[in-house]
Amino acid sequence: MKVTFPHMGSTLVYRKLVEMLGHEAITPPKPSQRTIDLGVKYSPEFACFPMKVIMGSYVEALEKGAEVILTSGGHGPCRAGFYGEMHKRILNNLGYEVDVWVFDSIKRDYKNFMNIVKKLKGDNSWLRLWTILKLLYQVTKDVDGFEMQLQTKRAYETKKGDCTRAWDKIQHIYNSVQDEKGLKEARQQCQNLIDEIPVMIIPEDQKIRIGIVGEIYVVMESAANMKMEETLGSLGCEVRRSHYISEWIEHNMIPKAFSKSHEEEILKKGEKYIEIKIGGHAKETMGNIVDFHEQGFDGIIHLMPFGCLPELVSQSIMPKLMDDLDIPVLTIALDEQTGTSNNLTRIEAFLDLIRNKKRNRLSKVS
Amino acid sequence: MDKVYLGIDVGSVSTNVVAIDENNRVLSKQYIRTNGQPLESVKTGIKKLKNDIDGKYKVAGVGTTGSGRQLVGIMIGADVIKNEITAHATATINYVPSANTIFEIGGQDSKIIFLDKGLITDFAMNTVCAAGTGSFLDHQAERLGIPIQQFGDYALRAQRKVRIAGRCTVFAESDMISKQQFGFSKEEIINGLCEALVRNYINNLGRGKKIRPPYVFQGGVAANAGIRAAFEKELGEQVTVPEYFDVMGALGSAILSKEYVEHTGHTTKFRGFEAADIEFTPSSFECSGCSNLCEVIKVEINGETAAMWGDKCAKWTNSVKSI
Repeated sequence: MKVTFPHMGSTLVYRKLVEMLGHEAITPPKPSQRTIDLGVKYSPEFACFPMKVIMGSYVEALEKGAEVILTSGGHGPCRAGFYGEMHKRILNNLGYEVDVWVFDSIKRDYKNFMNIVKKLKGDNSWLRLWTILKLLYQVTKDVDGFEMQLQTKRAYETKKGDCTRAWDKIQHIYNSVQDEKGLKEARQQCQNLIDEIPVMIIPEDQKIRIGIVGEIYVVMESAANMKMEETLGSLGCEVRRSHYISEWIEHNMIPKAFSKSHEEEILKKGEKYIEIKIGGHAKETMGNIVDFHEQGFDGIIHLMPFGCLPELVSQSIMPKLMDDLDIPVLTIALDEQTGTSNNLTRIEAFLDLIRNKKRNRLSKVS
Repeated sequence: MDKVYLGIDVGSVSTNVVAIDENNRVLSKQYIRTNGQPLESVKTGIKKLKNDIDGKYKVAGVGTTGSGRQLVGIMIGADVIKNEITAHATATINYVPSANTIFEIGGQDSKIIFLDKGLITDFAMNTVCAAGTGSFLDHQAERLGIPIQQFGDYALRAQRKVRIAGRCTVFAESDMISKQQFGFSKEEIINGLCEALVRNYINNLGRGKKIRPPYVFQGGVAANAGIRAAFEKELGEQVTVPEYFDVMGALGSAILSKEYVEHTGHTTKFRGFEAADIEFTPSSFECSGCSNLCEVIKVEINGETAAMWGDKCAKWTNSVKSI
């Protein structure tokens, strides 16, 4: 079977899962202007930006010969829950014979979840499947850990682009990991790689840490958010995201009895601002901001697809939250019309605001 | 010779060049229409400014801001290249220290900046539409056959109220046309337009946020007494228009350059007034290195590549040695 999946941040784990189970993985190219153009062309005008970009990715993967699309479902009343079916119908109408397998949370639809697992498992034994999943879960944990190290180091790298190059190498190294032994070697190799990156020494009180929160796709996929992490890094900020794949797996793929998921805690922290689940990641957005604030972050960048209902709700709560926590938040709506220079102006001004606030001086020059 | 600091704000509609002394007093101020030629207008501004201050003062720092800040910053040798929001707020904090909210409406964008005790606490910029900005008013003035300078006075002479849809420039225009056909006078239409724009501005930019007086209104559109009156009516409070409302961005960047030079002790990178005569050629090309097809901007000074930007991967940006 030739299997593809959306391009959301690093595709390493999806690709390895598919390959280790004996299928052929068709990795979609990193979303480019062409991907977006294709997606916009074949999606309804008012669908949100993630649906359009993913649409484009699917078309590009199908051009490379994919037969099955593996994707995740949505949370609650968010439109993303329909997208698996929507994508399938649109692609079928375009003449592509393609099947779409949607993983919804195991906690919500056990039967469907296991059904897809069985189809993916094929002739592999359950023991083999367990070994693979265990290995890949560790890979995800490792890779997320390295990514966080790089998100910190990028702010201080002496040669622009070092961290991004290291990140590409790390994914490449982990791509060839097949067992526990290989994992150990990869871990050491990657840590050395990161430790070798030369950095500037910046006094602790001048460091700026920014949390990126919002809808998962635009937070995770750099092609959809104007390379927000790299932009902030190059402007001297340490960055953390509200979403990492390992956390998503803990929350959605592992039955409750076996996991104490980070997301449960985040949701609890968001309760004060949004009591019920309103779909998408609105409640998580609130919780994440509270969490980042507790960790002592200096500011929040809130990303949302233009017209995203859950995030519009969280946006309108933002003034109250900013008041309560005394933390600056910049909301940026993203879609195919987004102009980079306009948003760069905002980000620069936002960082000036944070620096000034930190130094409590009238004005500051970089 | 006394020190002087220059600030240049290259906007879509106007290019402003100012010179201030060490006490932030304005020595010279040039307001020039950009007319789609940012480099030419900066050159004109610099030459005019030179007549005012050359021989009497020594340039100790230069700051640029506005949408053309990067390009002009390279051309002129700027010490500080800063975004418009910070530049505008810096000027206001200096000239109107009591301000808590800044309304800034320029040629192609509008901003609201919230201040507290001389610090920016929050800001917003128009996102979706240019309704209410200078270019739109310019266009309407032209259509009605009224010089833009008199636009505000017309609004103040209105006898009756008329409500015009201000959500979007296209709809505002068609609504104006139909109201004209109903027999409303030019004055009333213009007044209705001013009110619609202010309503739209406050709903769009101020949404959900606490807007606290004292208010300051700046940017080119602040010259329009009709818009100012509409703000005062909508908010029920006095709105201050500072003396140098039309060049606040340039003043802010001049102040920032002064602070930078004082703070770091660096000598200025200013290329001198002769920079206005340097052969300076910007060009652009589409990079075909990957499927992103970035539009890369390249700037040459006297035939040598001085700067490149616009590429997502920084391949070209990194290839330039700074000169």
